[in-house]
Amino acid sequence: MRVSYEWLSEYIDPVMSAGELAEKFNFTGIEVGSVERFGPELPGVVVGQVKAMEPHPSKKKLTLVDTETGEGVVSIVCGAKNMQVGDKVVVAKPGSELPGGRLIEETLIGGVPSAGMLCSAQELGLDLDGEDEILILDQEAVVGDPAEKALGFDDYILELELTPNRADCLGLIGVAYEISAITGNSVKFPEMTPPENDENINDYISIIVEDQELCPRYTARAVRDVVIGKAPLWMQLRLLKAGIRPINNVVDITNYVMWEFGQPLHAFDLNLIRDNKIVVRRACQDETLVTLDGVERKLTPESLVIVDGKVPVGLAGVMGGEDTEITMLTTQVLIEAANFNPTNIRRTARRYNLPSEASQRFEKGVNPEAAIWSQERTALLIKRFAGGRVLQGIIDVNHLNLEPKIVTISPERINKILGLAIPEKEVEAIMGRLGFEYKVKNSGQVEVTVPLRRADISIEEDLVEEVARLYGYDRIPTTLPGGKLHENRESDEEKLHNLVRAVLTAGGYYECITYSFINPESLALLRIPNDDSRRQVVPVQNPFTDDQSVMRTTLLPGLLRVMKHNLSHRELNQMLFEIGSVYEPKSLPLKELPRERKMASLAVTGLEPEPNWIKESRETDFFTIKGILDSLFARIRIDKVDYVARDVPFLHPTRCAVLEVDGRELGCIGQLHPEIAEELEIGQSVTVCELDLELIAELSELIPRVTAIPRFPAAKRDLALVVSKDISAKQLEDTIREAGGDLVRDVTLFDLYEGKQIPEGKRSLAYSLTFRRDEGTLTDEEVNEALSRVQDALHQIGAVLRS
Amino acid sequence: MLEKLKELESAAKDKIEAANSLEELKEIRVKILGKKGALTGLLRSLGDVDPEERPVIGKKANVLREELEEFFKLREQILRDAEKEGQWEKERIDVTLPGQPEQIGQIHPLNMILNEIREIFVGLGFQVAYGPDIESDFYNFEALNIPAEHPARDMQDSFYITEQFLLRTHTSPVQIRTMKKMAPQLPVRIIAPGKVFRRDDDATHSPMFHQVEGLAVDENISFADLKGTLLLFAREMFGPDQKIRLRPSFFPFTEPSAEVDISCIMCSGEGCRVCSNTGWLEILGCGMVHPRVLEVSGYNPREVTGFAFGMGVERIAMLKYGIGDLRLFFSNDLRFLKQFG
Repeated sequence: MRVSYEWLSEYIDPVMSAGELAEKFNFTGIEVGSVERFGPELPGVVVGQVKAMEPHPSKKKLTLVDTETGEGVVSIVCGAKNMQVGDKVVVAKPGSELPGGRLIEETLIGGVPSAGMLCSAQELGLDLDGEDEILILDQEAVVGDPAEKALGFDDYILELELTPNRADCLGLIGVAYEISAITGNSVKFPEMTPPENDENINDYISIIVEDQELCPRYTARAVRDVVIGKAPLWMQLRLLKAGIRPINNVVDITNYVMWEFGQPLHAFDLNLIRDNKIVVRRACQDETLVTLDGVERKLTPESLVIVDGKVPVGLAGVMGGEDTEITMLTTQVLIEAANFNPTNIRRTARRYNLPSEASQRFEKGVNPEAAIWSQERTALLIKRFAGGRVLQGIIDVNHLNLEPKIVTISPERINKILGLAIPEKEVEAIMGRLGFEYKVKNSGQVEVTVPLRRADISIEEDLVEEVARLYGYDRIPTTLPGGKLHENRESDEEKLHNLVRAVLTAGGYYECITYSFINPESLALLRIPNDDSRRQVVPVQNPFTDDQSVMRTTLLPGLLRVMKHNLSHRELNQMLFEIGSVYEPKSLPLKELPRERKMASLAVTGLEPEPNWIKESRETDFFTIKGILDSLFARIRIDKVDYVARDVPFLHPTRCAVLEVDGRELGCIGQLHPEIAEELEIGQSVTVCELDLELIAELSELIPRVTAIPRFPAAKRDLALVVSKDISAKQLEDTIREAGGDLVRDVTLFDLYEGKQIPEGKRSLAYSLTFRRDEGTLTDEEVNEALSRVQDALHQIGAVLRS
Repeated sequence: MLEKLKELESAAKDKIEAANSLEELKEIRVKILGKKGALTGLLRSLGDVDPEERPVIGKKANVLREELEEFFKLREQILRDAEKEGQWEKERIDVTLPGQPEQIGQIHPLNMILNEIREIFVGLGFQVAYGPDIESDFYNFEALNIPAEHPARDMQDSFYITEQFLLRTHTSPVQIRTMKKMAPQLPVRIIAPGKVFRRDDDATHSPMFHQVEGLAVDENISFADLKGTLLLFAREMFGPDQKIRLRPSFFPFTEPSAEVDISCIMCSGEGCRVCSNTGWLEILGCGMVHPRVLEVSGYNPREVTGFAFGMGVERIAMLKYGIGDLRLFFSNDLRFLKQFG
């Protein structure tokens, strides 16, 4: 809502400057987005008056205009013809500068000197009609005055950013009430009652409201024998300040009054209303209406329309119809001021994509009293600036309750909620400034009568806010909540997530956060089959792009996208992870909330560590991620994780595994399928992993349980084996542990070799075995005996000892 | 005899001083003090000396032996020191070479901020609560006093899943979920961090971002408590000299409502580009829980009151870390992420 400080001052004395007012508003609940001067400074541009005119001696199209500038009469050559002797005009004197940087000099035009220029609206930066015309000022303008003053360029515009509850400030009178609440000054209503003639409006028009729910109040007034022309310049300028383009006197007046009272108005050409009848009803299916913007609209019964005896003439509350609009030929005017159902207007404005100043106000609710005020004011202004006769009476089809609301409050409770001790007198004074009646009942309770303009106030808490904001939020003290507390600890889930973060970051991984929605194509790209549950995605109905059109069922597409982005910036070595939700619908379309499962995903590519002078770098692979998982599982005490070599659609067929604990699937790990990497245009090997954090949470033990430090020394033996590649490391380790029994406490693989010295199809593995007994030192014989049991067992599965 | 002793003394001293290695010194020692050494030989010939002079010469010879022993020791120390020094020099390293790289990763900056926020409020006795990202219309709007077609729905453009479900546009539904679960127990004191989604995508808006909701409900919670809690938060988060100011605002689920500014952390309130010369930065919205919201959630608004607040995590991270572009958070550019390591 654009508020002209000068215009506003008509309804109240603001006491303070525009800037101070904005500051005050900001701290009492009306946010002011900006305060800006209406127009530029115009040094050297003044009000002049045409004293005489004569044709240019040589150029037919030009006129020599003798103009009084306050410092004497000068002769100015002018191309326009619309001025008359006596007109007040805007003179740009030599040496002045117009908006846009145009410099005005004394020149010779067709051999005749011109002491400056008479200005058009465009030349002054005003969006008004009359391109080849000189701007004619209202007669009240004072010759010699600076033009910026006469044009109101020195006025300030406050841009109010109103919250949806403060519809009352969508009119200047409402804004004036707000100032009154701050300053205590009273609001001055504008002049309202027009003289009427003795013709009764009912003889000219009848109003039938068929749908009271969508149109709880409809008022009409008529003015005959008007002359359509331009509105006075001051009114046009005020409309420009409001951001509204002037059209003609009658339309401008309806807009002007809307800006005053916040009541949208519409003017029909009464002569064009068929059958002298206005009906307010829902549109019929397939009815059409050409709206003022020239577009033909197909109507449906969901929209309310204004219909004359035959066809729709307006989309109620949103936009009027073209064929009954006010034109230069109009002589009779019917003014509509109504209240429409906010929801219906909102839907209609959305459906036709026609947000207007009118629909915006109806959506938020218009003060029910404003219809009559606006009718009176509009008729008065039309009579004054467009002539004509105001017919007797206003037709008012009203089903609105016009009784103000009464809200019961207790000053004690107000103080309790605010944590204050304001004396009741001060509460009463605040209500007084708001214009709310304050009546103390015997019970100590107070009845506050809230005027209709403040539809946002209906309960005690609303009045608490009024007191708080006008008393000043800055005057409310700062305290901390007292009272008892609940036990308060981080959830296990939260702890687990933080542990996972701690382990992974310590291992060099960077955490990412990617969007929870993905492109469904990315699941196909990962070759996840159609019957896989991960293809059951929750779709977003109104996404921006396909990339954000379904809720993710895996974190991998997001991480791979990040990896690609970073590769394109030459970050060749990456270790990434994300912890986040995936969304698993129980049925589609969604009937209940989907399951949101927390997952962790990892992705690595390139070398680790970054190439350096001291430590050897390795190409990251399966074992890079497996290593950090080992640390993680050790930390959260999940032992016995099985890495089962099983196909995963998006992983390298022979370099992937499914993680299982007691047959329950924890996730998967492996090299991204090289063909998928190629399709993603990733030219290097990528290894990924995805884990179900909820299952991990279930299996994990976050609190370390300590056992006693061994009292007896351990014995170590190394064992080098040559064995077929078909035998897995797990098989070997299991064999060693099983055969060694209790005494084998640790089995560490410290070397792996395949190559020249080893026969084809075999590999060599070297283990370090730790033997220990809890009670007593092991003898050499005992250790050797255990070792030979291990060797025998290994021999059984075809492993050959290497010396 | 005495002369011989003197000769031996000066020759020995010269030799010792000239010795250049411990080995050489050892040889010299054998030659002088050894069993077949010069001094020993000299003493053996003591029998040839006049018996009266014997004790004098004997004494002198013994003094000389001690003196030479001392001399050997001194020289040995010098040679030993020199040798060690050579050894150290051989072992010299270039201390300016880079250290062995240990890559330590980093949690996402938004989680760094979330952790900080969590710590501050947990310290104030708040519990951490969570709610789903996909919400029902009831929890996201209806229960928060935002009925269908309420103009306040325009304040937040939503991503819809179905007519009934949507991606939550704020963390406020967790208020309702928590209260419904807890009612009628008191006090309720939670924060609810999480992802939220709005249909906005430009330089200053992301379709997904993070919020932290706060809620305190008890018999005597006041607006002053809200102010105090937020002031404490601002000071913990941005420094002990922080000031806050509250401006009246509107949210359908709080009454009274406020928007909260902190003094600009860039210019300490002097006015700069970041705060558009106002000296203040808006960081969150808050208010007293609307009675209808308490009612829907199972509390009697005549008996209890509450405050609630909601803050944007990205906004706080941008201010705290001096981040200019919101989109950096979700591009996960390593050149960005590595700056937090």
